[in-house]
Amino acid sequence: MRFVAALLAVVLASPAFADCPLDLGRGTGWVVFSNHYMLAFRSDPLRIETGEPFALVLNVCTKNGKPAELVAVDAQMPEHRHGMNYRPTIVGADNGRYRAEGLVFHMPGRWELTFDVRAGEETERLTHDIILK
Amino acid sequence: MTRLLLLLALLAGGAGASNAQQLLDWSADEIASVGQHGPWPPPPVRDPSNRVSGMPAGILLGEHLFNDLRLSGDGRMSCATCHQAGRDWSDGLAKARGNVELDRRTPTLWNVGYLHWFGWDGAGDSLWAQSIRPLLDPREMNGGPARPATLLRSDAQLACGYGKAFGEKPGIDDEKLLVDTAKALAAFQATLVSPRTSFDDFRDALVAGDRDRAARYPLAAQRGLKLFIGSANCNLCHLGPRFTSGEFGDVGIPFFVRPGEVDTGRHGGLGRLAASPFNLLGKYNDDPTGASARRTRHVQRQHTNFGEFRVPGLRQVGRGGPYMHNGSVLTLEDVVKHYSEVSPDRLHSDGVPVVRPLALSKEQSADLVSFLRTLDTEVPPRPAAPPLCP
Ligand code: HEC
Ligand code: HEC
Repeated sequence: MRFVAALLAVVLASPAFADCPLDLGRGTGWVVFSNHYMLAFRSDPLRIETGEPFALVLNVCTKNGKPAELVAVDAQMPEHRHGMNYRPTIVGADNGRYRAEGLVFHMPGRWELTFDVRAGEETERLTHDIILK
Repeated sequence: MTRLLLLLALLAGGAGASNAQQLLDWSADEIASVGQHGPWPPPPVRDPSNRVSGMPAGILLGEHLFNDLRLSGDGRMSCATCHQAGRDWSDGLAKARGNVELDRRTPTLWNVGYLHWFGWDGAGDSLWAQSIRPLLDPREMNGGPARPATLLRSDAQLACGYGKAFGEKPGIDDEKLLVDTAKALAAFQATLVSPRTSFDDFRDALVAGDRDRAARYPLAAQRGLKLFIGSANCNLCHLGPRFTSGEFGDVGIPFFVRPGEVDTGRHGGLGRLAASPFNLLGKYNDDPTGASARRTRHVQRQHTNFGEFRVPGLRQVGRGGPYMHNGSVLTLEDVVKHYSEVSPDRLHSDGVPVVRPLALSKEQSADLVSFLRTLDTEVPPRPAAPPLCP
């Protein structure tokens, strides 16, 4: 917890990220980095229950300050090689956040969330693991 | 009373501290896993897509309609013909018998209100939509779309019951009355909650740290439960208080119906769901927020849905049987044997398989069955429904 906060402090102090709101990643949320992108998100409801629909609220930024776009969100269980039986839809909100609606994890275990993000021509896939008990 | 209990406790204690040993070692993780299969019973169902859900007048009308033979084309079949109260809301047959033999087994209606997909193939997305199918299906009640409306308008008792439930007289719109009939049927079925069992007593005691009470649960069942939530991985699919994720899986039950014909399961079910005018995206959903239609809006048909069937809940399972969507497995012992010996080729999984032959020993198989049998209990006979409008 404190580590994440410290990390956020460092990241936010660097000039390129100055305008990137990462508050979604605080506390119960998550932050994912790559060389070019940064993504902060939390789930709604905060606790993901097996078999129950949930949404993700997200923010995506580039490191060089160019506008970034969230193209797709999906999830699979890499061990079992199966995905969800549901296709999330993404809507952008006025405050620059995205909402991915309609995810369902139908089994406990490791789920790998994938986020396809884009800035200009380049698309990149970020991933994040969630272990569901 | 207290003195009797004290005496019993002394006697039990006198039996050589054996009581204390009747409890296996349960790790914190295991206790958390067991805890997830409760508490029981869950809070009553309130389905926002059905405006009479949870309403006494709707429930009572539904119970009368459930038993009414006049809803069928030939006046000889009601919902209760196949979903019999005295048989845990099923019929004891491998395959249901309507006007002809159907291809699937009649599922129990215990705890049906807590599901979100209905039918073995999930073709229904609400309990009321699922209740329309047997009314119309020529192989089942074959009532025709106008029959419920005609009955509600012509029978004084039913008309009165309808008025109490829906706040108006049965009108002239036949389709609306068909849907309202199904909504009353759904309100009734959602009240069918299976009773507490010895498993629930064990679960509550274990979670509360009450070792003495927990130790009353038979050792064989404790060992079986450990397998269920442990190495056998049954709770990947049979999870939560009802022992089902409510979603779908393929556990290697053959899905040939007749030579050259298969039951496509979930794959076909999703096609029927999309085509139904009664799904939750349609005009009959009473939920103004749209939240109840989330699953329907986002569900996606996939290749792997072929031959998948809904994960059945396991409460009262020992009193049922034959088992599986087609009644092809006769006893609980046979079910466990199936999971012990299932052919990996049949399951065509390229990752770590969720279902694999468990190669259980004789003792382990017996333990697993012992555990499954603690999920049911005797149910007192159901009294006749009170009159609609005395
Ligand atoms: C001829 C026997 C028969 C009759 C009559 C019948 N059912 Fe069923 N019922 C079945 C079978 C078989 C299934 C499984 C259907 C499937 O998977 O496609 C089923 C499934 C259901 C389900 C879904 C349960 C679940 O676990 O998903 C509900 C709810 C239901 N029936 C309610 C009713 C109601 C209400 C009526 C009366 C209007 C009725 N049934 C009449 C045989 C019958
Ligand atoms: C991949 C998910 C999955 C796993 C893991 C799994 N099951 Fe099942 N189970 C199902 C499905 C799906 C069915 C119904 C299959 C059908 O009808 O074709 C079923 C059916 C059953 C039934 C029959 C219930 C009925 O009403 O017909 C029992 C009992 C059962 N499973 C017990 C177990 C036990 C015990 C284990 C662990 C050894 C287990 N299951 C593991 C998904 C699973």
